Amino acid sequence: MATSSVSKGCFVFKPSAKKKKKTLSLESYFVQGCEDAESSEIRFRLCQELWDEIKTDTEVLQDELNRTILDSLLDFTRKCSSTRQNSDWTSQMRASEIPTAALMLGVNVPDHDMTFQSLSDMLKQSVSPHVASVQAKECGALKHLMKKVLERLMDTVVVVDDEDEEENVETSPRVHRSMHCSLGILCDWYTARTKKSPTGTPGKKRSSQVRDEQQQPPVVIIFKDLEAFNPRVLQDFILICSQYIDRLPLTFIFGIATSPSTIQHMLPHSVSSLLCIELFQSLSCTQHLATVIDKLILASRIHFKLNGKVMQVLIGVFLYHDFSVRNFIKGLQLALLEHFHSQPLSVLCCKKKQALFNVTQLSKPNLDRIRQLPSFKRYVEKQEAQEQVNLMTDDSHLKEVCQQLIKDLHKYHKNYYPILRCLHTLTSSLPRYPLGKQIRELYLICLAKNVWENEDYQSAMKLVKMLAKGEMVSLLQKCVEILQLSKSKKMKNALVQLEELLAKFKQLDTATEMTPTVEASIPSPIKNLQKKTDLFQLQKTLLEMNESRRAKRLSPFENLRNEALEFIDNLVKSHLSPPESQPLYEVCYYSSSATVRRHLNATPRTSIQAALSNPYYYLQNDSLKSEDGTVSNTAPDICIAYKLHLECGRLINLYDWLEAYSTVVSAAEGNDQDSENFGKVDEVKHARFIRAVSALEFLGFIKSTKQKTDHVARLTWGGC
Amino acid sequence: MLKLTCFPTFSHFAVDSHIIMSKRKARDAHLPVGECIKQVQQILRERFCERRLPDRLEGVEAQYKHLLELLRRTAIHGESNSVLIVGPRGAGKTTLLQCVLRDLQKEEKVQKNLLQVHLNGLLQTDDRIALKEITRQLHLENVVGDKVFGSFAENLAFLLEALKKGNRSSSCPVLFVLDEFDLFAHHKNQTLLYNLFDVSQSAQAPIAVVGVTCRLDVLELLEKRVKSRFSHRQIHLLSSLNFTQYLERVWTQLSLPDSFPDKKFAQEWNAGVKTLCEDKSVEEVLQRHFNSSKDFRSLHMLLMLCLSRVSVAKPTIKPADLLEASRMCFADTTANMLHGLSILELCLVIAMKHLNDVYEGEPFNLQMVHNEFKKFLHRKSNSMYNFEQPVVMKAFEHLQQLELIRPVDGSSAKVQREYQLMRLTLDHSQIMEALQKYPQCPTDIKQWAMSAFG
Amino acid sequence: MTALLQHPGYDEERLKGVAEKLPCREVQAGMLLSLMGQPHQYSYPSIFIYGHRASGKSHVMHVLMKELELSHATVSCVECVSIALLFEQVLLSFFGCDAASLLPRSPSLSDFVRVYRQQCSQSPAKQTRYIVMEKAELLRDTDASLLSALLRLQELVEDNVTVILLSEIAWDKFRPNTGCFEPLLLHFPDYSKSELQQILSQNVHPSYSAGFYSAYINILLGVFYSVCRDLRELRHLAALNFSKFCEPLAEGKVKETDTHKLWKHIEPHLKKAMQTVYLREVSSLQWEQMQQMEEEEAGALRGLSAHTHVELPYYSKFLLIAAYLASYNPARTDKRFFLKHHGKIRKTNFLKKNEKTSNHLLGPKPFPLDRLLAIFYSVVDSRVAPTASIFSQISSLVTLQLLAQVSHDDQLDAPKYKCAVSLDFICAIARTVNFDIVKYLYDFL
Repeated sequence: MATSSVSKGCFVFKPSAKKKKKTLSLESYFVQGCEDAESSEIRFRLCQELWDEIKTDTEVLQDELNRTILDSLLDFTRKCSSTRQNSDWTSQMRASEIPTAALMLGVNVPDHDMTFQSLSDMLKQSVSPHVASVQAKECGALKHLMKKVLERLMDTVVVVDDEDEEENVETSPRVHRSMHCSLGILCDWYTARTKKSPTGTPGKKRSSQVRDEQQQPPVVIIFKDLEAFNPRVLQDFILICSQYIDRLPLTFIFGIATSPSTIQHMLPHSVSSLLCIELFQSLSCTQHLATVIDKLILASRIHFKLNGKVMQVLIGVFLYHDFSVRNFIKGLQLALLEHFHSQPLSVLCCKKKQALFNVTQLSKPNLDRIRQLPSFKRYVEKQEAQEQVNLMTDDSHLKEVCQQLIKDLHKYHKNYYPILRCLHTLTSSLPRYPLGKQIRELYLICLAKNVWENEDYQSAMKLVKMLAKGEMVSLLQKCVEILQLSKSKKMKNALVQLEELLAKFKQLDTATEMTPTVEASIPSPIKNLQKKTDLFQLQKTLLEMNESRRAKRLSPFENLRNEALEFIDNLVKSHLSPPESQPLYEVCYYSSSATVRRHLNATPRTSIQAALSNPYYYLQNDSLKSEDGTVSNTAPDICIAYKLHLECGRLINLYDWLEAYSTVVSAAEGNDQDSENFGKVDEVKHARFIRAVSALEFLGFIKSTKQKTDHVARLTWGGC
Repeated sequence: MLKLTCFPTFSHFAVDSHIIMSKRKARDAHLPVGECIKQVQQILRERFCERRLPDRLEGVEAQYKHLLELLRRTAIHGESNSVLIVGPRGAGKTTLLQCVLRDLQKEEKVQKNLLQVHLNGLLQTDDRIALKEITRQLHLENVVGDKVFGSFAENLAFLLEALKKGNRSSSCPVLFVLDEFDLFAHHKNQTLLYNLFDVSQSAQAPIAVVGVTCRLDVLELLEKRVKSRFSHRQIHLLSSLNFTQYLERVWTQLSLPDSFPDKKFAQEWNAGVKTLCEDKSVEEVLQRHFNSSKDFRSLHMLLMLCLSRVSVAKPTIKPADLLEASRMCFADTTANMLHGLSILELCLVIAMKHLNDVYEGEPFNLQMVHNEFKKFLHRKSNSMYNFEQPVVMKAFEHLQQLELIRPVDGSSAKVQREYQLMRLTLDHSQIMEALQKYPQCPTDIKQWAMSAFG
Repeated sequence: MTALLQHPGYDEERLKGVAEKLPCREVQAGMLLSLMGQPHQYSYPSIFIYGHRASGKSHVMHVLMKELELSHATVSCVECVSIALLFEQVLLSFFGCDAASLLPRSPSLSDFVRVYRQQCSQSPAKQTRYIVMEKAELLRDTDASLLSALLRLQELVEDNVTVILLSEIAWDKFRPNTGCFEPLLLHFPDYSKSELQQILSQNVHPSYSAGFYSAYINILLGVFYSVCRDLRELRHLAALNFSKFCEPLAEGKVKETDTHKLWKHIEPHLKKAMQTVYLREVSSLQWEQMQQMEEEEAGALRGLSAHTHVELPYYSKFLLIAAYLASYNPARTDKRFFLKHHGKIRKTNFLKKNEKTSNHLLGPKPFPLDRLLAIFYSVVDSRVAPTASIFSQISSLVTLQLLAQVSHDDQLDAPKYKCAVSLDFICAIARTVNFDIVKYLYDFL
């Protein structure tokens, strides 16, 4: 806070009323500065509901994706503890080894926490109450690791020497004097715990019956990030543990991001021979993403949509930068928030009933907004004159139309995704994947423009035309299954037709039994095409096939196949038109990819450079407006210094720099060129210059050098 | 106290109580052999573990007199003094001091007057601890306890004060014994030494400071102000005994006192020892030991090993025992460790040796060694030993664990292990010797090791 | 055998028991006993026992102490994160816990000795007390005086106590530079082949005859003895391969006596196992599963080093490639590799062959961040903005230990990195983004 006083001294500032106001609620944050305030509450509520839905969905997804591996881990631990108790020859032979699970999680580290959380929960529930998970950054030294493990297992405070924690320990000093952090303590504790009756503490109820049937629940220690651990610490810890293995049924779980061979890198043989390592591979994050997209994006029940560009950005961030699904979801959340915050018409982006109701509630400005929507304009132009006038003038009429349009939009979505899936099933198995292997790629294509105008689509269709009968039928069968899921009536009768087609194929079999020659005459060329991989070959074969087809009359199977393709093609044409074609699509589709990119994939350096080279961009001051990228001499000192330093080489002579600077500045002060003290360095200028330079140094553009004291070195390169 | 009669050499050892008892009971009774052996073990072990002081020291009489005189002055006439006893390890510095003190204690005037403070550089690792220890040994905790501790010098001053107005009107002299004296010189600006020497110089409470150290250059460790306060008295224990004396010492160390309950056995034993010492092979062995070191402790270790082989079945020390014992003493430990290596590890060692030969002992890393090894494998085209990189890595790690190779610089965390620069801590001969002794060593590897080029 | 262990002052029966518990170590045990002498006699102040891993050092000590019921304190130095723990354990096992509680909060050696003395003045040693220190090499890492003090503890506390140090490292590596009290050195040699045979044959599989099992061990040793003499490892291997060895029996093809057939059957498997001896490729559990499975599906369940492939984000891959190039190519060659049309660089002065060893022998060199980015931008195909996430990827590569940051992490003056991955690894990575890295490596020109 600034004062007008120039005297040094300390000033007391009474906290003003604004300061005193309690922190804003989420809603009020949301409402602040988003246009069209009256509908904002509704939008906030909608946004909240939608987000909660998405959140819960993702969590469910996460769980069922991890289920398999977690289960295998669980019965690994169970098996180990059981083998330790029974005493057949083999288990005797490896009695001294600590069972260890190496859990491969992939490099998307941010996602791991959830996995470990659920893992330890499940372990606690079903295997053993004694689970401790440790992270590398909290155990730099052996004693800290010990301390953490003991504390987490016994949930008490353990004293490590040389740091005095006498105070914050509630237990009497005598007791915890003996509580040094050694595994011996843990052993005693463990024996005490296992001896006393299983139904001791109500907290452990769930695990109690487990404890009954196996008297020795294992002690599980989870190392969340193995790579980051200090090898020496880990080795010593394992060595110690191995001395207690007979008394303490330990089990380790290593969380590994890169590859299992890191274990061998970290542990010498003397240590690794104490472990009995088993590998567990979690599913790859790309599959994970695929499922997430399938469940969240390609679902008609979630009405908020992303347009092609935004999808592109999100997926790009995922594939190019971090394999983190969590961040993908966050991106989705951001888009959601932005949409509801910036787009007043997003009131209509919700369940159908609600939307129709909201349409009736639309205010005048919102209706005008609707009229302004490009998609709506396009719609209007299609109508005849009288109707156009009505739409532009009559609000009530507009509302009715809007309701209709909203309905259409919902229908559109209902039909869109089933067809998309059908198309994907048909094309995903083709050689060279003309329409992509993953459904997300196809989706992006479809979002961009009319898919049927895409030449990849054409070639894909050609390839499908060459499918052998069996494949064809099976694919169509799959499509049928997909269509059966959807309830809209269009899909229903599509389903009917498809089934008819299939039936025809079936009876074709019976027909071909008497005339097998036809079928024999066409060995499905797709087979020998599978191996051909270069495009040229492919087209050649396609061509000659067309030739041959033209040459001879089509077999009934081929007729049927073309028919089927016709059918599919029509479906695609009628339902897979890009969202832009739909009126009022802006209501549901979030389109500003720039914002998302700016938030998710920031470019600090470029923005700093932009600020320095073009200050007007940030502080909108007309005096700073400059053409052709030159910095006006009224710009802030740092900008001027920066501009000047761009013209220098690797080493900058500070004095020359200062000279140049003062010239520019005094030109700005407007004292005339030929006055004798023009460009003189007075101490004010000097001070300002020094400040600017140190700021530049702080930003990492320059640094002082050893070899020349009056020079600084540039850390940037080029004159840009 | 025994009267020093017939066998001067035998009477050098005081007699512990229970032997006297048994003497009283059975002066001329023959004990069973087992009992005798037990007694022998008893006496000699105490001797070799230096748990019992010899009655009179031979070879260091001068030093003995000197020290005794000094300390008596302090103890009786209250003269302050400071002296250093300097000598190599195991030369008998502590023994000397102990003897002097023991004999000093015999004078009753000293007995009730002199206070002793024993400090050890190994234990009192800094001055605070040392001070606490001093207070404790002078039984002054209760006095100091309630007082707030000020600076170190104050405390010491206070201590001496307390001594002054101690038990009687006259202040009683205090004897400070600083074992491992050189370590005290490493304490923070040598405060303790400074104050002790200071007091010992000025005419305050009479104290004697006796430092015991094995460092001949100990004076260089002292700061100027400390050194200036030290009376440059040094008692050196550089034993200058020749081989015959050495033999004499062996004999005396082994032989039993005539106070031994079973005279007959004792005589037999001593005779046995005599013959032992006259044996030629024994003499050679002892010569070697004499050349390597002539101090008590190494001798004691040797004799201890001999003694441990004496049993009821074999109630005398045979030359063979001594040879065996000396073999154990002179065993090359690293060679022993090499013996247990696996073939692969041995191969790596050989490869390192070759690298050392080629690049004149430049440091190497695993990659280079493995490379060298591969070269060998290519020349012999037997696929017996070509392991995967990880296996070789493990072998390399093991060598490092055994400290047969040593990383050049401490900063190992940053470097990948296979690229960390190492040095071999073995020399050429050790490797060769080990190869000769190695069980079932393949000949081609032997040849490879012999071959001049890598 | 037990004759070696005849020793007055110890109970005959007990000694027999000891002898049975210590196969092939009677000599050493006898030696130790005779050094220790009878319980009430003085023993040498400190004994240093050295020998390879699994040569029975701790085991012998443990058995002797337990069987003969000598008063002892066994301390494993790994466990003593602080010397306080060490002192406490010693006092605890000699004088009980109230003695241990007499130690001040962070005790010094002096405190320890003080407490010990006052305790043993109350209860003087009737017989020798032993302090056994496993992994004694770690004592050197604590403060210097500790080791030399322990070596002469007997004199310091004036009690009949003997310190026994166990270590895998020769005594020469221990000796402090100002010297110290020299302990008695005692070497535990590694087991000979026959001894190994004898020991391994002891844990017979209950459902097979001893002779059969020892035959198996014989075969096992025949293959492995040349490369591996570590008892523990051999035991592990024996456990692994036995089920396979028994297969023909189970199928009833051969009889127990027909060793030759059995050998024919097991030999290839042992050979296979020998290539990966020492690295526990698969856990013993998994190994059995593999044995049960047929060869082709055995591929599904592979060892640790099998999965070396790591999934990385697209740009991370290129960053890693760039890092690799930066750390294995001399900086002066960048011009030639990465400039589209570098001027005339004569082959002769470019390929300076004065570097006698290739960089892949010497290892990666550190490089500044700028160089990494420059190479990155020239190798990555598309135009990439220097976004925050690019830099965060670099740091995450560091945390994954694929890169190593060598200089202090001060961002202002450019940090230096090293690439920490092997050639095969980087080649695999490069293949996934079809980038021919070998063309860009100076060593392979």
